[in-house]
Amino acid sequence: MENKTQTSNHQHQSKWTLRNIILIALIAIFCGIIFWGIGFLYTALTVALTPIGAAPFANDILMGLWCMAGPLTGFLIRTAGSAFLGEFLGAAVEVFLGGQWGAGAFISGLVQGVGSELGFTLTGYKRYDWVSLNASILTTVIVTFAWDMYKNGYNKFALPLLIGLFVTRYISTFIFGGILTKMIVKLLDRSNAFSL
Amino acid sequence: MNPGMKLLLVVLIALEISFTQSLIVNVILIAVSFAYVMVKRMNFKTLFLLVFWPLFPALGLFVSQWLYGSAGIHFAWVLFTRIYAYVFLGATFTLTSSITDLSLTLEQDFRLPSKFAYGVLAAFNLMPKIREEVQIIKTSALMRGEVFHVWSPRLYFKAILSSIQWSQNLAEAMTSHGFVEDEPRTHYKVIRITALDWTVFIVLLIAVQVMLFLIRY
Repeated sequence: MENKTQTSNHQHQSKWTLRNIILIALIAIFCGIIFWGIGFLYTALTVALTPIGAAPFANDILMGLWCMAGPLTGFLIRTAGSAFLGEFLGAAVEVFLGGQWGAGAFISGLVQGVGSELGFTLTGYKRYDWVSLNASILTTVIVTFAWDMYKNGYNKFALPLLIGLFVTRYISTFIFGGILTKMIVKLLDRSNAFSL
Repeated sequence: MNPGMKLLLVVLIALEISFTQSLIVNVILIAVSFAYVMVKRMNFKTLFLLVFWPLFPALGLFVSQWLYGSAGIHFAWVLFTRIYAYVFLGATFTLTSSITDLSLTLEQDFRLPSKFAYGVLAAFNLMPKIREEVQIIKTSALMRGEVFHVWSPRLYFKAILSSIQWSQNLAEAMTSHGFVEDEPRTHYKVIRITALDWTVFIVLLIAVQVMLFLIRY
């Protein structure tokens, strides 16, 4: 699986080249399709947790996976907006694959995209390391959680349950958006397939 | 209706019902969307799946809100119907519009730069191939005695390698077919937003506002 990446392409003014746009979209679609495969896992978790009223935990346990495309594309194509586009398109794929969210996925995609993007904005698109990745994780968790306060009615829950959900979401996002993303980037870096 | 306008309308309404709590409006939206989908395209298998899969998250939200929520059974029903409203609103778009038309109108009428419209479209058209590629990556790993899960970094690594290669190929192919970034283009298929589109858009949006304002239950 060798490839001929043109490192010389990167000196050009804007990073929003046709190639990079297609690359972001392709990575987003790959992620969307990989996650779509675990739709049954989400459903199974929901079914298992519904009798005790803990179904929202299924959402929060898997949140990190759904928010992976953002940090990945944001880290690979280092320019403003790439994390947003990647995350949004990843969610849009689910809509077209016929996921169980319908129009909700578009909005979730917008919200998650803003969440992922903000982290890189906070670090000024200057540094791409463990710090900016963690900033992105933090903003993703806060923004998506604020959204679920309304959309999924979290604001009607008592504080202990809210804290439980928040911590679950943070751990999930940290594992998938943080540790897993870092491992993937390391593999890419070592392979010299892509000049980061 | 123009696909771009339709998508905008659907997303706006979905956004609005996320913040409002009217059970009746949710049900009306579901009924109207359902009728629209039925008129446009009768496919019972698709319809069945549309009703079946969201049942789990909807029921899950309902039960947890019922047991632990402070807002009572009415709000639990609002959340239940909200999930279905999203799904059927979304279906009015996905079941009746094509991605190609959407990106054409986004480029021609919504001033999206052509490299985004055609770049993303090109990638979306590879969707069947991408599905295949995910299978190939998993299968070839199995042949080496490795099992790839959603948490395996190597699965994503290989997917990204394919993406890098394909994006290069696609971009080159588009360039060799005469696509020039940031240059004005002429269009073989012209999509316009008509007066009718605007009328439908505004009337429906106002109707939703009026309903949300009047129907509080």
